[in-house]
Amino acid sequence: MSSLKLTGVRKSYGNLEVIKGVDLEIKSKEFVVFVGPSGCGKSTLLRMIAGLEHISAGDLEIGGQRMNEVDPSKRGIAMVFQSYALYPHMTVRENMGFALRFAGVAKDQIAIQVQEAARILALEPLLDRVPKELSGGQRQRVAIGRAIVRNPQVFLFDEPLSNLDAELRVHMRIEIARLHKELQTTIVYVTHDQVEAMTLADTIVVLRDGRIEQVGRPLDLYDNPANLFVAGFIGSPRMNFMAGRVTASGQGSITVELTHQGKAQVTVPVAGTAPAIGDAVTVGLRAEHFGAAGAGGADIHLDIDVAEHLGSTSYIYANTKTGEQIIIEREESRNELDRESITVSIDPDRAYLFDAQGLRIQ
Amino acid sequence: MTVSPMTDMAADRAVATRSFMPGNAWALVRRGLVYLMLSVAAFISVFPFFWMIVGATNSSAEIIKGKASFGDALFTNAATFFTQVDALRVFWNSGFIAVVATALTLVISSLAGYGFEMFRSRIRERIFSLLLLLLSIPFAAMMVPLFVMFAQAKLVNTYVAVILPTVASIFIIFYFRQATKAFPSELRDAAKIDGLKEWQIFLFVYMPVMRSTYAAATIIIFMTNWNNYLWPLIVLQTAENKTITLILSALTSAYTPDYGMLLFGTVLATLPTLVIFFLLQRRFVEGMLGAVK
Amino acid sequence: MAQARLDRREQITGWAFIAPALVLLGLFMIYPIVWSLWMSFQVGKGMNLSFGGFTNIMRLTKDTVFLRALGNTFTFFIIQVPIMITLALLFAVALNDATLKFRGLFRTAIFLPCVTSLIAYSTLFKSMFATDGVVNQALMAIHAISGPISWFGDPFWAKVVVIIAITWRWTGYNMIFYLAALQNIDRSIYEAARIDGVPAWARFRYLTIPMLKPVILFTTVISTIGTLQLFDEVYNFTAGTGGPSDSTLTLSLYIYNLTFKFMPSFGYSATVSWVIVIVVAILSFLQFLVARDRRVKP
Repeated sequence: MSSLKLTGVRKSYGNLEVIKGVDLEIKSKEFVVFVGPSGCGKSTLLRMIAGLEHISAGDLEIGGQRMNEVDPSKRGIAMVFQSYALYPHMTVRENMGFALRFAGVAKDQIAIQVQEAARILALEPLLDRVPKELSGGQRQRVAIGRAIVRNPQVFLFDEPLSNLDAELRVHMRIEIARLHKELQTTIVYVTHDQVEAMTLADTIVVLRDGRIEQVGRPLDLYDNPANLFVAGFIGSPRMNFMAGRVTASGQGSITVELTHQGKAQVTVPVAGTAPAIGDAVTVGLRAEHFGAAGAGGADIHLDIDVAEHLGSTSYIYANTKTGEQIIIEREESRNELDRESITVSIDPDRAYLFDAQGLRIQ
Repeated sequence: MTVSPMTDMAADRAVATRSFMPGNAWALVRRGLVYLMLSVAAFISVFPFFWMIVGATNSSAEIIKGKASFGDALFTNAATFFTQVDALRVFWNSGFIAVVATALTLVISSLAGYGFEMFRSRIRERIFSLLLLLLSIPFAAMMVPLFVMFAQAKLVNTYVAVILPTVASIFIIFYFRQATKAFPSELRDAAKIDGLKEWQIFLFVYMPVMRSTYAAATIIIFMTNWNNYLWPLIVLQTAENKTITLILSALTSAYTPDYGMLLFGTVLATLPTLVIFFLLQRRFVEGMLGAVK
Repeated sequence: MAQARLDRREQITGWAFIAPALVLLGLFMIYPIVWSLWMSFQVGKGMNLSFGGFTNIMRLTKDTVFLRALGNTFTFFIIQVPIMITLALLFAVALNDATLKFRGLFRTAIFLPCVTSLIAYSTLFKSMFATDGVVNQALMAIHAISGPISWFGDPFWAKVVVIIAITWRWTGYNMIFYLAALQNIDRSIYEAARIDGVPAWARFRYLTIPMLKPVILFTTVISTIGTLQLFDEVYNFTAGTGGPSDSTLTLSLYIYNLTFKFMPSFGYSATVSWVIVIVVAILSFLQFLVARDRRVKP
């Protein structure tokens, strides 16, 4: 199995640059997820790896060989498309075996490989059906089967679960994770859903506007976002961001006055260089890291807008007097179902600080 | 194909240069051959028009010699044409017939197509299948009885006789039915809730939404009627009622036709269809796209 | 869009929508056909008709002109339809490539002949293919032929002109149908095939063609019907004679002549008409049959 390497990769459509210099190294057998908002370039990047899009500048290496000009079919890759792209007039068996006919594989060998792939994906009873007769999840598996049959070095998935309903998505997610374990191949997976990224990936690559914002293991990205964007993108519900101003800067900590929280002040430990007094910063805190009132750290008073009760958890959407929205996640309490306001405290050890450019202040 | 959140990117991809692996020499050669083939096809397709326009400006003798450049006989040809042919009357005949026929066909056939698709019942489905079978019946098989019918009704040599048999066009009914399959039924449901009656729904909801289909159908129907030959040939007897198609055809059968004048008349005869085509072109392709599923 | 059951009011509305068309069709299509069928058993000149049983059918089998018309019509059909369908397919596939330049121009150009008036292109073709016309001059200029071909004077070449004319006229029309159908094909299918290493010719043969089967069938049937009913072009090219020496006489033209030029035998011409109906029906049925049985076996 091999690795994949992108060095200084760029892509432009005419004067519009969509991929602005990507450097990435993917280790063999790794499950890498490209994630980001619509238009960030993740699909384009995937298609460049596949060879469906031309690389304007930079190098692509698969298995140590430069692949920029190599025909897609000779790169040792296989791709699963969002729309599955099954051949509508062929049966499942024919769909999976079609490509092998042109690879010079003998007919009986094709049958064996198709059978094996069908076994892995539990498609055996469906082999003689046509795509029209299959459900979304089944079609997805056929698309994966078609890819498996070619024994690629790298599997590419382009938003494969987007067309499935929520329940099926969860089910297929598990299937794909299981597949990765069984096949032990490198997978590059594109999605806009950060939940898929968090659950499937060995490594997540967060993209925005054609650039890599951060690369790392899922929990690393969750616990240590490098900037405002990644912090806000990873994790659901979204991290709360509170505008503030530095009022005091001392040994290993900064005191920030929160602009919209009635002048509450929170002191956050900081290891490296601290911003100057008066600088605008953003304080980030995840919904689950608010403590009860008076638990230490700063207290803030909020008016509850909407409260969602899911049985074991509740999400409270609250506002400050000046309209900054805060989402609080807490364990469900049957006693507090009709509250109109709430006071919570900010745990300074869990708070993140971001400077005016959105970079994390460590 | 379901709409994905990536549709914008896909559109960009299609529009922009999706250049894949151009290093391949064979791909370049193939690309060149494609351009060659298309250019030849385009040339062959367009050349006769060019020839026609050039010919209209030349004299018959020059045309026969094969002159391929513009001449100065345009006015002569025009003069000859207008003296030989009561152009106003003839074009009025063609125009009236084509316009009225188009309008009627659009209305009646779209009503039927809509009706077949929206109000499905077993009987109507069978009737529809029967209609499709009827498509295979050649006009030649019907022209005699039709003629006799109109003769008995004393309607020979009238506009009515030319227009009426063409108005219920099975092909257009079929076309509208196919296109209606793409019409979202929720629109009709919403309109019903708003209190509209069926005919109002057809008029105020269906027709505006299906604009491209109507545009495409208009081109086809207008062309068919403007160029209609056999039936008008049979039914229209006097020169003053004949269409331009018939008149020109008669002129070409003259022993030594004046090609210059003829081509001039031909240019005139072709203009309306060309105009309609260019006006509705964009909608036409949309319309065809919508119906071919 | 499935409506399980329509209530009474909707049923009536359904009929109301299709009623005008049905009435007109009944009057101007059904009635004439049935009348024609009845007529085909009548003999006699003009309106003096008497029942003749199968006389007309017997006459058919001995009628050499009829047989020649039948042969000609078939020849046109067998040669012209496949050529046109193939060309239209090739053009459509070529034009479906988003990276091709001047796509719109090519498309409009190739479709233009369909918009031309019948008379226009008859006149044009007559003047272009005249013995001293442009085509002969061009062919001689590039030394493809040594002397001018008498296009309209030679039985073989006359047929060729007709075939060229029809193909020129209708290829663009069919091409638009294919283009529309191709646009509806998910592009990822081709991308998947490319990644999987399926060569271009195989993509065309095993993917494009099967996926286009419904449209191809539709256009083939329509073209078949059109060519079997061929009249306009032949009438205009040969001033109604179907010459030279009946070489371009088609069934429709023969019927026309029987009815309006020669001693009008309505009964016999009705019989010939029904021959066309039966032939077209059989051919259409066969085409549907062929389309159903053929399965892409990888």
